Amino acid sequence: MENIIDFAFVGEVFFRLLAYVPITLGLAISSMVLASIWGLLIMVLRLRKIPLLGRLAKLYILVGRALPTMVILYLVFFALPVVLLIFSDATGREVTINQVPAMVFAVLGLSIHTGAYLAENFRSAVQSVEKGQLEAAVACGMTWQQGFRRIILPQAAVFALPLLGNQFLTLLKGTSIAFMITVMELFGAANVLCSENNRYLEVYLVVALLYWAISAFFEKAFFVLEHKLAFFKRGMKP
Amino acid sequence: MITLKNIHKAYGDNEVLKGIDCTIPTGSVTVILGPSGSGKTTLLRSVNFLERADAGEIILDDLQVDIAKATQKEIHELRQRTAMVFQSYNLFKNKTALENIAEGLLVVKKMPKAAAQERAAFYLEKVGLAEKAGAYPQQLSGGQQQRIGIARALALNPDVILFDEPTSALDPELVGEVLDTMKQAAAEVNCTMLVVTHEIGFARDVADHVIFMEDGKIVEEGTPQAVLNTPQEERTKQFLARFISYTEYNI
Repeated sequence: MENIIDFAFVGEVFFRLLAYVPITLGLAISSMVLASIWGLLIMVLRLRKIPLLGRLAKLYILVGRALPTMVILYLVFFALPVVLLIFSDATGREVTINQVPAMVFAVLGLSIHTGAYLAENFRSAVQSVEKGQLEAAVACGMTWQQGFRRIILPQAAVFALPLLGNQFLTLLKGTSIAFMITVMELFGAANVLCSENNRYLEVYLVVALLYWAISAFFEKAFFVLEHKLAFFKRGMKP
Repeated sequence: MITLKNIHKAYGDNEVLKGIDCTIPTGSVTVILGPSGSGKTTLLRSVNFLERADAGEIILDDLQVDIAKATQKEIHELRQRTAMVFQSYNLFKNKTALENIAEGLLVVKKMPKAAAQERAAFYLEKVGLAEKAGAYPQQLSGGQQQRIGIARALALNPDVILFDEPTSALDPELVGEVLDTMKQAAAEVNCTMLVVTHEIGFARDVADHVIFMEDGKIVEEGTPQAVLNTPQEERTKQFLARFISYTEYNI
């Protein structure tokens, strides 16, 4: 048995990999924040049927959800340098690709991917709130923006949170792909450990455990948050 | 005074409003009656642009709005000077009863929080629900929600309140309390009330003016006595005959 699992090694791997958890979390959380803002914007463009921009938003949602995360990541990784090159040609300011950490590409790519899903999640959440409340808001003289922000969004958030939680867990595991564009996160570090020590089972067991622990934590966190935001359904002040 | 001139509205080929002309004097209670699909609700919702009519004019005292050319600013001003009570109450579900009434005062009238709450409490008291100040809509009956809806409209002190079938979604038992609240409002407040309803009794007791609509047109209008007791048009007679035969029990 000790040949299959070396427990001392498991302990060592655990502590070495623990150091990479913040990187994975950083990737996931910053992508989630960016994607949420971006997704909200895209959703509003679509919902309000803004000319041209609304159509572009629709196209983006289509493409963003159609491509595998890895393809988007590669596209960003190889296309952005070209954009930067054009930028430095146009402005005369020297921006080379080496100045941009790979982490930035990863966050961008993951945000683009997640934002497309979130835009749709947000739309379904907003449309779950009775339209009549927005009518009531504008009928008493509020602007669409005021009614949307003060009345619709707080209620839509309750509908959106389970979907948001789902999406976050998907994203969290999606960060393992960032390794493909040289970001040394949890999964990447695990792969390195494997090849350094020529042992696989222990490393992947620890990786699985870590992903599970992070996911379990956030699952609970989202649940608590959802409960808090739904205060008006229980008839209690927040 | 609010004047509607030649209001037209069509959904595709379906013409819902075929040129509505009417004048509603300041401080009056005007009831719009008519069978389902006659365009009453669409007309009411055209006044505050929840429904955008295709053509016509809305004149509210000094504010004159040409519907076809109305700007966002004009629409916004019209909405700030009117208020609406909805068939399905449409209270803000994330706000308490008191906050529902205070919301418009805070955001639209830009009142300080304390003043807005005080005023909201005053109107909540007026509709007899002072003890429900902290309750969320989910915890209130339909009748209570609608009374809060009325308080929300009154608190804004608008020139006109538009009532869109305010009792149609209520249990028969709860209709009375809402009608009483409306009667009280009509007696105490000097704002114009434009009411779409099926409550003939309310029209008879409270209205100054009754409009009977059918098929996108005004068929007949006048005092409640004239329209309800001695209708001139055949269509009005038919409608009232069917209605009064069963509403009479309530009166």
